[in-house]
Parts: sequence; C-alpha cells; structure tokens
Amino acid sequence: MAVIMAVIYGIVGVMPIFVGDVRFIMHILIMCLIWAVVAACWDLIMGFAGIFSFGQVAFFVMGAYGSAILASRLHITPILAMVLSGGITAAIGVLVGLPCLRLKGAYIALVTFAVHMILEPFLKGDMGRFLGTGGSRGILTIPPIELFEVTFSSAAPVPFFYLTLLLSILCTVIILIVIKSYWGTAFLALKDSEDFAMSLGVSAFKYKLMVFALTSFLTGMIGGFYGHYVGMLSTRMLGIDLFVTLMIMLVIGGIGQYPGAILGAFITVSLNEMLAPLGTYRPLTLGALVVVLVLLLPDGVIGLIRKVSGDEAEGAGVSRY
Amino acid sequence: MTPPQPSNMCGTDPSPRRIARPSGDAAILKAIHVTKKFGELVAVNDLSFEVKKGQIFGIAGPNGAGKSTVYNLITGFYPFEGAIEFNGRNIRGLPPYRIAQLGISRTFQIPQTFPSLTVEKSVSVGNRFGSPGHFDRKYVDRIIEFVGLESQRREMTGQLNLLGKKKLMIGAALATRPKILMLDEPMAGSNTSEIKSLMALIQAINTDLGVTIIIIEHFMKVLTELTETLLIIQTGTELCCGDPCEVTSDPRVIESYLGEAYADSNES
Ligand SMILES: Nc1ncnc2c1ncn2[C@@H]1O[C@H](COP(=O)(O)OP(=O)(O)OP(=O)(O)O)[C@@H](O)[C@H]1O
Ligand SMILES: [Mg+2]
Repeated sequence: MAVIMAVIYGIVGVMPIFVGDVRFIMHILIMCLIWAVVAACWDLIMGFAGIFSFGQVAFFVMGAYGSAILASRLHITPILAMVLSGGITAAIGVLVGLPCLRLKGAYIALVTFAVHMILEPFLKGDMGRFLGTGGSRGILTIPPIELFEVTFSSAAPVPFFYLTLLLSILCTVIILIVIKSYWGTAFLALKDSEDFAMSLGVSAFKYKLMVFALTSFLTGMIGGFYGHYVGMLSTRMLGIDLFVTLMIMLVIGGIGQYPGAILGAFITVSLNEMLAPLGTYRPLTLGALVVVLVLLLPDGVIGLIRKVSGDEAEGAGVSRY
Repeated sequence: MTPPQPSNMCGTDPSPRRIARPSGDAAILKAIHVTKKFGELVAVNDLSFEVKKGQIFGIAGPNGAGKSTVYNLITGFYPFEGAIEFNGRNIRGLPPYRIAQLGISRTFQIPQTFPSLTVEKSVSVGNRFGSPGHFDRKYVDRIIEFVGLESQRREMTGQLNLLGKKKLMIGAALATRPKILMLDEPMAGSNTSEIKSLMALIQAINTDLGVTIIIIEHFMKVLTELTETLLIIQTGTELCCGDPCEVTSDPRVIESYLGEAYADSNES
C-alpha cells in the first residue's frame, strides 16, 4: 500500500517541473490532491468499516463553511480555522453516527444522505444566514491561508500546490496508518460479522464512532482548506454532480482497495476536465464509463494493478466474496 | 496409571474422569430466574441453572427450545429479566464486548468468520481485543496450533471449509483467554471422524487449558461422553438437569425430546 502511495505522490510531486507555469493544469492537480483526501476518507468508512455513509460531501461543505466563517467573522488564522472546523465537523459526524449504530446497510445510507439534503436549506435559511453563510449568495470573500507571514493563494499556484501536497500526504498517511493498525482490523472484523467481532471483545460502539469522527474530521478540515483556496463558497457544491463524481472516484479506484481511492480521485478529476469539451454530454460519458468500469474492473484500477503484479492478499475488496 | 476411559455412553460406574475433575464446587456461572420475551413469544421462561468451575456442562432440547437464546443472554446480546452471575458478579446489562473481556467467549450456531481477514489475523482479533493482558503473538501461535489450523494460517477465512470455520471460531474465542467457552452445536454438519476430532479438541480445551465448557448439542452420544452435567430445556424452561446418564434415561426426556428426535429422524 505504502509503495503505491509513494509512487502516486512521487509522480504528482514532480509535475510542477513540467507544468508549473500552466495555471490551469496546476489547478487540476491541486483539486486532485484535495479530492484524494475526501475519497480516501470515504473509502475508510465505507470500504473498510462497511458503513454506507453518504454524508461525505456534506461534511466537506460543512468544513468549508465552518472554516470560512471562523476566519472571516472571528478573524481566526485560516490554518487554525481549518482544524477547528474539522473538529466541529467531527462532532457533527459523531452525532450522525450515533443513530447509525442501530441501523444496517441501506438505512445508514438514508440517514447520512438526509444530512446532505438538510444542509442546503439550512445554509440558505435564516439560521445559516445568522451564522454567516451568506444565504443563497454564499460567502464571497474567504481569506487565503497564511503561514509564517507567507500568503498561500491561487495567485501563486506552485507554492500552493506543495502546501496541498503536504496536507494531502499527511491526511492519507494517517488513514493508511489507521488501516494498518489494529483499528483497521477492528473495522474489517465489525464489517464482516459484527456479532462475532463483539463476542471477541471488539466494541462496535467505540470503533464505529471513531471512524465517523476521524473521517468527518479529515473531510471537514480539507473542506476548509478548499474554501481558503477558491476564496468563495456556495451551496452549489451540494448538487448531485459533485456527489456522483466522488462516487466515480471510489468506483474507479476500487472500494476497500486503499490506496485505490487516491488513484481514483486523480483519474476522475483529470478525466472530468478532459471531458469538458463534451459539454452537456460529459455526465452521460462519465456515467457510461462507470458502468463499463464496474463490469470490467470490479476491484477498480488498483485491483488491476494488483492482479498484474501478483499481489492479491491486501485490501478489503468487496468482489472477493 | 491412567484411569480406564469409558467405552460406551453410559456404563454402570460413573466415569472416573468425571470424579477426578478438580472442579471443586464453586459455581462459575449462575442463571437466576432468567426470562426472555420476544414480543408475545417467551423464548426463555424463568430458567435457573448453575455451571461449576472446570466442568463440561451440556444443554439439549428440541428445536426452538431457547438454547441459543440462553447464550445470547449470557453474552449480552439481548436485555432480559432475572440475573446472570459470573464468578459472583451480576453481568446483566453489560455489552457483549465487556462480557468477552471478562472471560466468557462463545461460538455461533451458524459459523461466523471474517472473510476480509486471514486465519492468523482473525485469531489475533480475539487476543487483541478480548484478552485481559497485552497482545501476545506467541499465545496466538499456540492457539492456532492447538486447534489445528497452522497449515492454513495465511489463508483468508472465507476459503476455509466448514470444519476449518468451526476451528477458527473456537480458536478466536480461545485467544481471548476465556474462563468459560460456550459452544453452540459444534458438531452440526460434521461427519463421524470430524465429530471425533472435535470431541477430542473440546476435551483438550477443558483439561489442558482449564477452560469451563458449556455445550449445546443434539447428538446425545457426544453429550453423554463429554459432559458432567446435562440440562434439558423445553419451550424455555428446565425439563431436567443432572448426570447425563440419568437425564437421558428420564421418562419425561425420552417422551418429549428424545422421542421427538427419534420421530424426526424417522421422518427424514
Ligand atoms: N431475535 C429474535 N427475535 C424474535 N424471536 C427470536 C429471536 N431469537 C430467537 N427467537 C425465537 O425464540 C425461540 C427460541 O430460539 P432459539 O434460537 O433460542 O432456539 P434453539 O433452542 O437454539 O433452537 P435450535 O435447536 O433450532 O437452534 C424460537 O421460537 C425463535 O424463533
Ligand atoms: Mg440454536
């Protein structure tokens, strides 16, 4: 796993040497790095812990709004605001996780997606406006990230790229460590047979809430980072497009095939940009691609890589059983 | 030196093995007026029994008698009325993982495995999360060897056959270093030679590892050979409890349970 991650980030890390002055490509790379974190979080909770949480985009948006409000209203320095906002998102994640402890499969998907559905009217409504979401107009001026007196913004893409790279590696390595540790084993055991796992001393309560807390923290934090990067936010992100795109990342990468989700994010974000000339045919093409990929590569791109390299024992792929 | 093993199910003398057991009289597990209702259905009805430390305790009864439900109550899967005491402490209301950590482990009637994990990892789960001490790699190795899975330790558990899955469940349960191991119909679906090897394994767990065993079983031969005390339950209540040879010759048991089992086997 670590080797594949090192290769992915290694290749991406040297890209600015070749395309550093092409602002458009640098933007795509930055978005790839950001979405890699979100996809990795989703894979951890869905692919490994087996919890069908469909609230990932909602957590991302909450984190983005939270950090933007903390930074612009309370004048908290953006880096700190991101972390605080991640913490708030984690708390909400745990609250959402609590009812999910009693539910199974599709019902968890419904509850978590309900959070997604509620979020848009909330952000646009009076309560949201009171908190500083700017209603349906959104937030138009989010301060850029400042670190050691240096301002990181989209105006200087190369430094910003390396900051994103650092954060992306940090988050995905944390997820890798969790997967490799006994936490990861507990997640898989609970996913496979909750009764058996509990009868062996695994606390379903503790580990399920932990996975909600961790994934919503990282997702919220990277959401905050995204907000400071693009400088403005609106509820448009809660539309179905982004949600579907995120799903495609996981399907392409392979569910439960970490770090496949990271690779899936890179491929999907780039592909999405390349298909831009297709205009309205783009969603159609992407949709068709997903169907073909699911049929041809049930374990995603990473499953193919593993098959070719003869290393099959790792991961928690769903197609195996 | 070794005492002669009883050759048949019920000799005239009680088995020397049963007398020689260093069990003392201390009860390790007590069910006190336990009742469990599923809506209208009373699955366990005012049931009381006592398991002594070090013994092999058998439970039998017709299908739907409430045997598995008793296990689910002891291991904290459902709330119930009454009390269950483990070493004198009431464990009612504790969550399953706490009860496992206290020293009660179990297997399931429908074999459970972790298809995403290898044999070694699955057994490790028991030791990592269920045993009171730190994770002990050597102990895990010993248990894998003990249940006879060392040649398959790197296989994914989904690939094991039925016997392998049963051994894995027992191994993972043993890795928690239990005081009591509860087996739910461990012989179901096994052939004669598999039954023999499982019986030897259960006996070894009891004598070599010193674990108290409760076993639910339909095969009377297994129960009379292995157990020291046998409890027969019917529609959630005790029908009879005591020495397995006496219990199995009790007219009530023959009529309501053995008779029925006999009729069942004639039908099919
Ligand atoms: N979770 C549950 N919800 C509702 N009813 C249940 C539940 N679990 C068990 N029962 C019912 O309780 C009764 C006892 O079931 P139990 O599984 O304990 O029987 P058993 O003695 O183990 O039978 P078998 O020999 O078939 O395994 C049955 O009528 C069963 O349908
Ligand atoms: Mg049963």
